[in-house]
Amino acid sequence: MKLPGTLSFRLMLWYTTAFVLFLVLSLITAYFSMNSVLNYRIDEDLHEDILEFRELYTSEGLRRVQTEIQREIKSGNADNIFFRLLTLDGKVIFSSDLSSWKNLTSNEQPFISASTLPALETISLESKESSTRIIYDVIGPDIILHIGESVEEKEELMAIFFTLFITLFVVALPAASFIGWLMSHKAVRGIKEISQIAANIQGGHLDQRVIVSQHGDEIKQLADTFNAMLDRIKDLVIELQEMTDNIAHDLRSPLARIRALSEGVLCSDKSLGDESRAAISSTIEESDHLLQMINATLDIADARAGLADGSNTPVNISQLAVDACELFEALAEQKHVKLRCIIDIDCIVQGNNHYLQRMYANLLDNAIKYTPENGEVNVSLTCNDNSTIIVVEDTGIGIPKSDLDKIFDRFFRSDQSRSLQGCGMGLSFVQAVVEGHGGNIHVDSTLGRGSSFTINLPSIRVS
Amino acid sequence: MKALLIEDDQTIAEFISNGLCEAGFIVKHANNGIDGLDLALNDSFDIGIIDIMLPQLDGLTIIEKMRSNKINIPVIILSAKRSVDDRIKGLQQGGDDYLTKPFSFSELLARIRALLRRASNVTETSTLTVADLSIDLLARTVSRAGKSIVLQPKEFALLEYLMRNQGHIVSKTMIMERVWNYNFDPHTNVVEARISKLREKIDKNTSLLLIHTVRGLGYVLKVPDQANFQ
Repeated sequence: MKLPGTLSFRLMLWYTTAFVLFLVLSLITAYFSMNSVLNYRIDEDLHEDILEFRELYTSEGLRRVQTEIQREIKSGNADNIFFRLLTLDGKVIFSSDLSSWKNLTSNEQPFISASTLPALETISLESKESSTRIIYDVIGPDIILHIGESVEEKEELMAIFFTLFITLFVVALPAASFIGWLMSHKAVRGIKEISQIAANIQGGHLDQRVIVSQHGDEIKQLADTFNAMLDRIKDLVIELQEMTDNIAHDLRSPLARIRALSEGVLCSDKSLGDESRAAISSTIEESDHLLQMINATLDIADARAGLADGSNTPVNISQLAVDACELFEALAEQKHVKLRCIIDIDCIVQGNNHYLQRMYANLLDNAIKYTPENGEVNVSLTCNDNSTIIVVEDTGIGIPKSDLDKIFDRFFRSDQSRSLQGCGMGLSFVQAVVEGHGGNIHVDSTLGRGSSFTINLPSIRVS
Repeated sequence: MKALLIEDDQTIAEFISNGLCEAGFIVKHANNGIDGLDLALNDSFDIGIIDIMLPQLDGLTIIEKMRSNKINIPVIILSAKRSVDDRIKGLQQGGDDYLTKPFSFSELLARIRALLRRASNVTETSTLTVADLSIDLLARTVSRAGKSIVLQPKEFALLEYLMRNQGHIVSKTMIMERVWNYNFDPHTNVVEARISKLREKIDKNTSLLLIHTVRGLGYVLKVPDQANFQ
């Protein structure tokens, strides 16, 4: 069985284990202390009895002692206590009713001297379920009193305690787990908030901050550090945005001038020779190509940065797919490629209409471009409440295994594609858009058989 | 036609004013915002071509001041920024247009013509006719030499757009924008393919070809005899 590896689960486990260990230790200690206290009390009682009888013997003699023993036995229970009077060499002078104390004297040794007394001992008798505590002591010259008391009552009490402790343990175990669960959840709640916000930020919501409520100093510190980091990232993103805008502007202006000059000359100067005309036309074409590349790079950067600007709206991606299919239909027909689109209606994705439109255009353009005559391009769109899946499949030239992980790189062009027009930005842009929308893109391809691009985007529910 | 050009980049300004002069416009040029606004308020024009980033006073402020002074001529905004500002989008809904640099002159001219036509408030006709080709905008039917031609909705929209701009070149970008609502150039021949398909239906069985490709610039619908396209 695999246990959950979350921090809260581990905290709960630690808490519960520590609590249970502590509880078991306390209960065991309590149990044994109680046991020894009760034992001590029994011994005290026995000693007191000896003292009483010693005084009685000294003041009133043996006969009075015997009468007192009889009286004690009668008032008490003959099953629980017995008395014997012995001489130092072990001869029995007197004994209470020993009918329920069989084998009592089987291993009794004669006493060598009075100096070894008093002697305390716990014995087990076959006739008794519980053990017996016995004492031997002198109460007069050459008179030994032997008292035995059953510890049954004490054992019953200890059994009750034992049951009580087990019950306590059984009740405390789930309670401890529950408290542990509560405490661990409280402890990690702050962390969860932070990770939730971090996840949102991944989708481009750089304005969110962790609100520090009371989660203890460590969490507060983490949140503060995290917020400070976000401020820094936001500054950097803004800076980057401004910088790219500036670069775009700075490169575009001279490019615009080159283009304007060339076009001006081409259109106004009728005396130009064919060679000059061709050169100027090429200049215009090349500046257009350069512009296309600058734009593509900046578009990819924008799409990657997320959808922070105001263009983040619910988009009917089904309609975009239908439009794209309609748009590319004629191109496919011209190339004798069969374009088939199976589109679920009314799939809604949160995002940028313009980017998603271009995502389709780039995918379809690629698929048709790399599919030879009489091939097929299939587009499908399916969605449920959570995700929208777009598959663009072709029976084209395919992508070599070695190139599969490079096709999304900027400016990458495989050997087969070099002869076709394009600048190697289309798929990078698609990937940037998909990831900017919180989705993922996956490609399967067999060389010579075709490729299949699968895009998974998070859906939003239509209310 | 009189055009107001406010542009600080000398090369671009010359390129535009030369082109416009050749196309028969009278052009007044200012190279900063203050002078530009001054011209706009004190002279009368049919169209404005205004750069956004200008010294002293930016283009959008000039347009706002013009509007508050009840100067409602159509304006084409020139921008070097790729990303289209929300304020420009707002203006676009008010009937103005924008163009990002660099652009080709034919693109600018086509947009100017489109704006002027819209501004001139020609009473909307329900039929458009070029030679023996006519389309009915209400019934959405097309006929060539009396024979009706069946078109798909987007093909009809494309033909309508070409007819409305008859005799003038429309660029691929403009077609993508107006017919398919794609405001980017996919840099492939989707438009070319659509045009070919349309041409097959329109110019089939006739010696009078109406839909023409102008290399590097775009497409034009015209009767070939009126050869000097502009």
